[in-house]
Amino acid sequence: MHDLNDQHHDQFLRLFAAHEPALRTFVRSLLPSLADVSEVMQEVAVVLWQKFAKFDATRDFRKWAFGVARYQALAYLRDRARDRHVFDDELVGRLADEAVAAGPRHEAQREALETCLQKLPAHQRELVLSAYTEGTRMDELAAQRERTAMSLYKLLHRIRQLLLECVRRTVARE
Amino acid sequence: MNNHWHEQIQRYVNGQASPAEAGALQAALNQDAELRALYLDYMNLDVALSAAAEMMTVTEDSRTHIAAIPPTTIWSLVHSWRWLGATAAGAALVILVLFPWHRPASPAHHDIIAAIASTQNAVARLTVESPPLFPAWASPTDSMFNQPRILKFDL
Repeated sequence: MHDLNDQHHDQFLRLFAAHEPALRTFVRSLLPSLADVSEVMQEVAVVLWQKFAKFDATRDFRKWAFGVARYQALAYLRDRARDRHVFDDELVGRLADEAVAAGPRHEAQREALETCLQKLPAHQRELVLSAYTEGTRMDELAAQRERTAMSLYKLLHRIRQLLLECVRRTVARE
Repeated sequence: MNNHWHEQIQRYVNGQASPAEAGALQAALNQDAELRALYLDYMNLDVALSAAAEMMTVTEDSRTHIAAIPPTTIWSLVHSWRWLGATAAGAALVILVLFPWHRPASPAHHDIIAAIASTQNAVARLTVESPPLFPAWASPTDSMFNQPRILKFDL
């Protein structure tokens, strides 16, 4: 009995770990802030585990998990009355389908990111990673660098665009 | 894809987009598959950058932790390794003394023993003493070992 539970647990962990990055990207695409993603992903993991006993193994885990993630992300936004910028159901459905299909491309882009980060000048690399460090406040980061928040955002936009073009180019070459 | 949409997507993900801008982005995303792919790629980049920043923080924390170990602790660790080495060497010596290996001596082994014995005998036969560093009168301890002779005169 114990072995059966362990096997069940291992199977879930393997499936969840394999699909977690794609799920996180999808959840991120529905939420206006990166800070909310971890909270929703925790809920997604709990709900998936609770329902995994009833999951039909012949079904596609990825599609099932994306359905749960979509529901949890929208419930999170509704509970916090932060749905004024949320996309309509039709677009959310399209994004979910296309995020599933884009899984391998996104995985390759994530792998290419390390190389692309190394190609950035050191001060830009440090800036973008600082901006993404948990607990960083953009106004404080701007003050540290003697910039206005607006000019910092513009610089970050430019760096992110460069990085995106770099990872897309790298993956296209492979 | 023109820079306008790059800018609009980033404003949206930063929470800077106005309701009008968010509405325009939604309408464009609904109509344009290429723009949806760009949007999802930006989301993927956002998540990946967050993971990279977290990794960097963890690495820096572990470096800081190592750097924060006081030098005395590091030296005590080094000393503990020295003691371990010394203990191992001592144990090996005890084993060698208590359980010597009696191997049959080879002819070359005999030659070496004979050469050592001959050298030791030659050294023992040497009668030449090394010259003293200081003359006896200059030695502060000479008088302790060689009591001065007191001349006695029978008057």
